[in-house]
Amino acid sequence: MTGVLGDVDPGASVSIERVPDDDVRARLLRLGLLDGPVECRHRLRKGPVVLRRNGTELALGADLADAIEVTPAEER
Amino acid sequence: MSCHETRAPDVDAEETVALVGCPNVGKSVVFGALADRYVDVSNYPGTTVDTTEAAFDGRRLTDTPGVHGISSFDEEERVTRDIVLDADAVVNVVDATQIERDLFVTLQLLDMGVPTVVALNMMDEAEAEGVAVDAEALEDRLGVPVVPTVAVDGTGIDTLRERVDEACAPDSTPVSRWFDEIPDDVEATRAEKTLLVEGDEPTAERVPTGDIVADGGAPPLADVGRREDVYAHRRRRVEGIADDVSAREDRESSRAEWLSDLLLNPLTGTPLALAMLGGIYYVIGDLVAQRLVDFLEVVVFGEYYNPAVESAVGGLFPDAGWAEPLEFLLLNDSLGLLTVTVQYMLGVLLPLVVAFYFVISLLEDSGVLPRLAVLTDRGLERVGLNGRAIVPMIVGVGCVTMAVITTRMVGSRRERLISTALLGLAIPCSAQLGVIMGLLAGLGIVWWFGYLGVLLVVLGVAGLLLDRTLPGESTPLVTELPRMRLPRAGNLLRKTHSRTKMFLREAIPLFGATAVVVSGLQYVGGLAAIQRALSPVTGLLGLPQEFGRVLILGLIRRDFAAAGMTDVALGPAEVFVGLVVITLFVPCILSMTVILKERDARSALAMWLGSWTVAFGVGGLLAVIL
Repeated sequence: MTGVLGDVDPGASVSIERVPDDDVRARLLRLGLLDGPVECRHRLRKGPVVLRRNGTELALGADLADAIEVTPAEER
Repeated sequence: MSCHETRAPDVDAEETVALVGCPNVGKSVVFGALADRYVDVSNYPGTTVDTTEAAFDGRRLTDTPGVHGISSFDEEERVTRDIVLDADAVVNVVDATQIERDLFVTLQLLDMGVPTVVALNMMDEAEAEGVAVDAEALEDRLGVPVVPTVAVDGTGIDTLRERVDEACAPDSTPVSRWFDEIPDDVEATRAEKTLLVEGDEPTAERVPTGDIVADGGAPPLADVGRREDVYAHRRRRVEGIADDVSAREDRESSRAEWLSDLLLNPLTGTPLALAMLGGIYYVIGDLVAQRLVDFLEVVVFGEYYNPAVESAVGGLFPDAGWAEPLEFLLLNDSLGLLTVTVQYMLGVLLPLVVAFYFVISLLEDSGVLPRLAVLTDRGLERVGLNGRAIVPMIVGVGCVTMAVITTRMVGSRRERLISTALLGLAIPCSAQLGVIMGLLAGLGIVWWFGYLGVLLVVLGVAGLLLDRTLPGESTPLVTELPRMRLPRAGNLLRKTHSRTKMFLREAIPLFGATAVVVSGLQYVGGLAAIQRALSPVTGLLGLPQEFGRVLILGLIRRDFAAAGMTDVALGPAEVFVGLVVITLFVPCILSMTVILKERDARSALAMWLGSWTVAFGVGGLLAVIL
């Protein structure tokens, strides 16, 4: 079941499946956020989403988060 | 360890060593520890990015902006890429707590064939967080020297210094499998080939392509890029190495994480952020911009420096007519080159610049800055900016001049233009705000809220209009949140010192030139002519012609305008209109000078004229309504 990153609840783990913007995708790839499941640490109401993987935290603006497709990952 | 030197050192040129790594890995601390003597901070040619250089064992050591990869996503990355391409060797600083992230840059450097030594830094924090990294195993896997360090207390720095000579890169790395796709007649180094298969456009444009250009129309190397394949493959190698050489224990969340969570939760983060803003305002806007600057201007310059210079220099001039203009230029009361100009530079600008760079360094080093950006992203998105523009807006209330410099960190050119324009237009600086608050207090609280309301409306409408009309789209917030930590005093002072020095070196000549031009204009009667020319405008605002003098004062210093208002007899509505106009009206000469330095002349002129138009438009409208 795919959804968008903007709808993921804090605490949930997801795999990022599709990032429409080439540059943003390359930047996420470089940081290792496309390697496997990422944890959604925070989601501000109508605001950015904060992701974490292996101690690296990244904030993404709301519009961007709404354009990124994700699937739920197995809880570790 | 088998190693291959890929670049023969150039005998004539001084050998250069570049420090490269992700942001917040302790590069500048390693730099300070390695450097023999401090040399220079300067803007990298053609950019607003500053780089630091120092001597190091007879070589030149260059610190680069922190990046997550050698590429061209922003100005910092382009600067780092260019420095790496020119360097004879690289010291790659890796955060031991985040090797899954940092080894991407390491492997990229090795793919490029750049002779590299790895400084595995923050070993103490890694231990505290339950992250174990085997440096020897990492050295074996990478094939280049790996030196464990704790740069803040000097651990490992001597070994690092000794092993810089061993910097090397493997003969060949897996990235070469893509090199076949580059046409044979392209002359490129291994580093350039790596960047080419990663689709790095500036490299594709620069590399000589033989006669392919003549054959085809489109840029010949544009199709070569296999960025995602190359990156994904490198990520798999990073994961493999990180799994083999490190282990991460699950620990309870630390105090830093707890604080980070508090800041990112709007319920707790908003009051915390407001308290911090209050603190910043208190330091920059009150302690420094008001008290310290007042003391320096009134006592140091007003009572001692200016009178002393006037009598000393004034006495040197003969009573001849030819000497008069020169004496005026050097000593006049509005912007004399040896008196008021020096007073502005040393009595006003210097303390503000120091305080400001200190506060910014504090916010940067503690990790607070990106978290503030997350909190404010949504609001700023509405005016075509993203969360990173919060810094200029906060600093602007302290001092617009300083804030213009921080617009460097807000991202694209478009966002810098919008934030600079909003700063120049609708953010009153603390110097002016003090006088304005005093005048409004005499009118009553309703006028005060009316004043704030008008400014917010102008800010919002101007932001929306600029967002709609400027070409391009605003870039979304994509920002890493580094771990929160207590900043080191030494590092804060070093940053503050080097940034202040660089700023003043560029601003002083520019401000001096401005002073000469303004004094010249005043001497030949240009300013008086401007005041006469302004009379239709003051009429439009329903204000007496004396208000023209207030406007001219405002050109020089915004708070002069506010102070000048107290001399003109006006009714409440007139005071209100006058205050709105002098707030929206052009930024002061210092701000304009910095805007001119940071942006191009055309944008600066457009902002200048735009401020006039908006100020008189809104003022005229208010005059009609009231």
